Amino acid sequence: MSRLSDPSRTLGPNNLNRTGRRANMKARIRSRLKILTLCVGAAVVQLAAAAAQADTGVGVDTVLGNALNPGTGNTMRDRDPAGLSGQPQTRRTPTGQLYELPYLPVTPKATESGWTYSGSVEAGVLGGDANEKNATFRMYKDLDNGLYLNNFEVEAEKADEARFVEAVGGGVGRNDQYFGVEFGRYNDWKVEAFYNETPHVFTSTYRSLWSGLGTDNLTLNALTPGGTTSAAVTGPNIVNALAATENSELSLVRKKGGVRYDTNLSDAWKFFGSYSNEKREGARPFAAVFGGGGGGGNVEIPESIDYNTHDLLAGLRYSDSLTSLNLQVAASLFRNNIDTMTFDNPLFITTNTIAGVPATTFTQGRYDLYPDNDYYNAKGEYARALPDFYSGRFTAVASLSRLRQNDNLIPPSMYPLTGGTINGVSTADNWNTTAALSKSSADAEINIRLLDLGLALNPTDALNVKGKVRYYETKNSTEYWACNPLTGQWGRLLNDGSGGNFPIPNATAGNNPVGTLNTAYNAAGCNLAATQALGLVPSAGNGGIRNIPFDYKQFNYTLGADYRVSTASSLNATFEREEYEREYRERDKTWEDKLKLGYTNRGIEDGTVRASYERTNRRGSEYHPDPYDPFFSTSLGPLPTATGTNVASWIHIMDSFRKFDLADRDQNILNARFNYMVATDLDVGVALQYKDARYPDSAYGRNDRQKQNSLSLDLNYQPSAEVAVYGFYSYQASRMHQTGLQANACVIGTTYNFLSNGAVQTTALTAAQIAAGITIVSTTTVTAADFLAVCGAASDTSPLYPTSRTWDVTSEDRNDTLGMGLRYDFGKAKLDLNYTYSTSRTQISYGYNAAALGLTAAQEALIGSGMPDLEFKQQILDASLLVPISKAAATRLFYRYEKGTIRDWHYDGVAQNPVPATNAVYLDAGPQDYKASVVGLFLQVAF
Amino acid sequence: MRIQNSLCIIRARLAAVAAVTALALFGSPAMAAAPESAPESAPATYVGEKACLQCHEPANKHFGHTLHAKVFRLNPKNDTERQVCEACHGPGSKHVSKVDDKNFIISFTREWGTPIEKQNTQCLQCHKGGQRLHWPGSTHASNKLGCSDCHNPMANASAKGLLKKASISETCYTCHQQQRAEFKKRSHMPVPEGKMSCEDCHNPHGSTTKPLLKADSVNEVCYPCHAEKRGPFLWEHAPVRENCINCHSPHGSNHDKLLVSSRPQLCQQCHSPSVGHPGQFFRNDQTAASALIGGAQSARVIGRSCQNCHTQIHGSNHPSGARFQR
Repeated sequence: MSRLSDPSRTLGPNNLNRTGRRANMKARIRSRLKILTLCVGAAVVQLAAAAAQADTGVGVDTVLGNALNPGTGNTMRDRDPAGLSGQPQTRRTPTGQLYELPYLPVTPKATESGWTYSGSVEAGVLGGDANEKNATFRMYKDLDNGLYLNNFEVEAEKADEARFVEAVGGGVGRNDQYFGVEFGRYNDWKVEAFYNETPHVFTSTYRSLWSGLGTDNLTLNALTPGGTTSAAVTGPNIVNALAATENSELSLVRKKGGVRYDTNLSDAWKFFGSYSNEKREGARPFAAVFGGGGGGGNVEIPESIDYNTHDLLAGLRYSDSLTSLNLQVAASLFRNNIDTMTFDNPLFITTNTIAGVPATTFTQGRYDLYPDNDYYNAKGEYARALPDFYSGRFTAVASLSRLRQNDNLIPPSMYPLTGGTINGVSTADNWNTTAALSKSSADAEINIRLLDLGLALNPTDALNVKGKVRYYETKNSTEYWACNPLTGQWGRLLNDGSGGNFPIPNATAGNNPVGTLNTAYNAAGCNLAATQALGLVPSAGNGGIRNIPFDYKQFNYTLGADYRVSTASSLNATFEREEYEREYRERDKTWEDKLKLGYTNRGIEDGTVRASYERTNRRGSEYHPDPYDPFFSTSLGPLPTATGTNVASWIHIMDSFRKFDLADRDQNILNARFNYMVATDLDVGVALQYKDARYPDSAYGRNDRQKQNSLSLDLNYQPSAEVAVYGFYSYQASRMHQTGLQANACVIGTTYNFLSNGAVQTTALTAAQIAAGITIVSTTTVTAADFLAVCGAASDTSPLYPTSRTWDVTSEDRNDTLGMGLRYDFGKAKLDLNYTYSTSRTQISYGYNAAALGLTAAQEALIGSGMPDLEFKQQILDASLLVPISKAAATRLFYRYEKGTIRDWHYDGVAQNPVPATNAVYLDAGPQDYKASVVGLFLQVAF
Repeated sequence: MRIQNSLCIIRARLAAVAAVTALALFGSPAMAAAPESAPESAPATYVGEKACLQCHEPANKHFGHTLHAKVFRLNPKNDTERQVCEACHGPGSKHVSKVDDKNFIISFTREWGTPIEKQNTQCLQCHKGGQRLHWPGSTHASNKLGCSDCHNPMANASAKGLLKKASISETCYTCHQQQRAEFKKRSHMPVPEGKMSCEDCHNPHGSTTKPLLKADSVNEVCYPCHAEKRGPFLWEHAPVRENCINCHSPHGSNHDKLLVSSRPQLCQQCHSPSVGHPGQFFRNDQTAASALIGGAQSARVIGRSCQNCHTQIHGSNHPSGARFQR
């Protein structure tokens, strides 16, 4: 049966007889030659499917590429002037945006076996500043001078069997290299495999004092562990060592490979399964402190990274005309090949809490790095059309997840601490053993449940209504008590033994019976009830004694409607209530009502507008500033009452402080987007977002107004296959405000004088103050009966939180981004230019009362009215000139110019002053300005 | 041009008549076609790819290299797929008889004007379920986006996904310019560098979450790449456990580590205890530079700020790690 008589048959080569196929083959060959001739110098890199692993529904690794090949393939190929339709006019998306003119397709080569193939490779040499070491330049890319295999791709197909193979790769041998291969049978099955490396350079100005970066043991190169003689002597030694240390890089590389199999089990059923393994190695900025509360000394150290993550995923998908079903199971196993990291300590430590142990003891510190963890998930998604019930649709999603971690815990210290005591109890061999712990392994677990039900109905052709209920819950069953069974001591030995936080019976006379020993709690042997039964007031209220197993429940109730006003316009409205129930947070419950109105009109002449407005109001149950008593030492005994007791630690925070994730919040969000077809070859777009949030009940914390406003303009000009121009500009301005209060003191029986200049003191006015005209405007005496109220509230007369000690910070961002590009085909050469210019500035200004905070005039002169601006400017120009040298080869001259300037006050002065105080050592001078011109000469060969 | 179009149409009609005749004699009952002279109220019928190519050969030049063409021509699994052109554009008999009537064929461009719902329904007849199970009622669907607002199945503009632009991210940027600018900030996800795309975190076809996340919560989106922060830890940090974007801006930030605000100010938006330093006023005389001219340095200002001491800020597994210092 010939094709003409049975046009319902597909036009594959199998439908022709042998003579016909041979004739067609010759015709195709002639056609190919013609196309190749026409495509002189065309970069014939076919856009092979860069075989990443994920789809839009599950998984990461959705793109393979790097900075020189950002997932776009070769954009310098010839475009087809006839477009898609043979008409010179370029077609537009339903919104009105121009489709790009398609590339001229490549005609593959044929083999005798029936396979056809095509491919290309681009390789050459990079020079200029490709070996620039600046961290911002190299943040996520790896360039270097020398030979460079930029990209390659191969496609092959055996049409009579519907089989295909594709392979891509680029950046070969570099830390941002990528490879992918995909093979299978169209509409049947396929296998995808990939390997992708992603570098991340954190800093290139780190002066490392250690060897062994990336391992579990960092050893000092030229300094004595534990310091020398004293901190005053050790500091200059460190400075001298740093002066002789070159800058180095802290970075890591993610190396990830995986394989995925997809198959159509039938027309309705599909199966997929995948495995990936990611290895991360390197080092990133880290730090360490000694002593307790930061008093002993701090030094920046590198964190060694050696991670493996195994991810498994499998799923079934079913779909027919009425029903869709997705079932999937996933497992993710994270393994840290460096459980603990030991580092030589360059500081001379002054300890606190622990007595009798010399400072030189602490020659090393030890971190318990991120523990191994396992994640498991099972999920089902179901959708059912209800054609006979208002043309409705029902959806249901259920998901169960488990996060589990059960690493062996390490002892609080690696030192025997011989000769030491903590509150009169010997430390010798009592803290360098896991017997000092209440449990030997973490046994940490969080279970997550999700149930999502939705129903959508169409009562009329123009109206759709939908409702949804969503329930999401996390349940944390982790439990750990900080009490040493060997000694009965509640609390924690800090920072390898150089500090401690141990609640003991309060020693201020009058709180506890005369003769109460420091060790009185110890006799209870870590039995909380027995300890509480002693009825002894603890020494402080803020000693942590138990972990806090945060978890929450989230409920979302949504009701929405969509009304089609006309063929091209519609209105929609959605009301959603989101409720949170949280364990162990300041608010048991918060609820947020969200009303959103939207409008879409695609029928405006030559334009499309989309706009929405959303108003949200979040409120909640009563705010308790301190819900944490059960987890802290305040729960060990009654409140203090004795005069002279410093009770500040029983007050967690002032009662008018609001944590922003729980605080009352009113928010308005306006989004609008307008696309307009200016001409047949030109379209423009404008988009804006106005976001304004207020925290009406937050006197302290993030408060006042938080704004973020954005405006974007873009244009796209495609007059012909030879020329295309694009441009965009984006503006964003944001503002965030917060108020804080520097705490003062709160001692029972003490009278606090509040002065007219805002200062608070417990003494009478000095002669100087009197001479300056300062007066006492009020006084407050703290009593046992009222200290929680008087000191817990921020007020003009609060001894602990006097409002005169309030400070506030306003942070304002401004960002501008400009981009443009030009593609021009001269006929004998092609030019491709892309340029972006980004500039950002963050201004941090503050207000404060210098007198209240005890600041001198000299200090005020340095403090000023704000921090220096954070600034970042970056220009990137990419230019390529493609010159054909034969039908299958072309040269590409490549030029990339990057310039970056950055100012970050966090790093001001670190390079010159790395040890600005005794026992404070900073080794990372931070991001630096850079300028780089990279040139490349590549040869593109097609086959 | 007019004569050429007319010839094209004549050839198409002849091909359609031939197809109808052949079907009447040899074709399956499911494909039975009404004769050309059937009343206008009769539904359109399939005319076959050959008829389409009489006029639309330029389109076929590009379409023939796409995945749809491979599937339809080389290994179709059902009658719909075997129609090739008409699998997407619908039965073409009426279009052949009256090519300028936009009601007689489904097209996916603005110029033709086929209603969005009809366009999307046509795509979803094969592509519903799976990754697109949540498309109906999703944010993009509610904004009346057509599948062809993001996809162009008629040509290979992108490496995968038959997108209208060369990459996933460029396709998203045509509407989401704000996010494109955010990826240009000082700290950002490696999207411009080709190592991530928008689809690593979002499912543009719909999801159970409002921001079209690819997982059940923000944190479960972040954990696949940041598995070390998954924990759970012995000592947890509340805002971390609940939502990564309490502290981080997912696309880009002017601050280090994609933080939403500068340290220590960010930390002070939650921490102002009665004892110790978190509630203190930190200021410009505490930098390392200021220390050279009379200031007094503070580890809470310089470099990593609060993380100079509280390094394990995402959670600690050290038995003494309640303050995240080990």
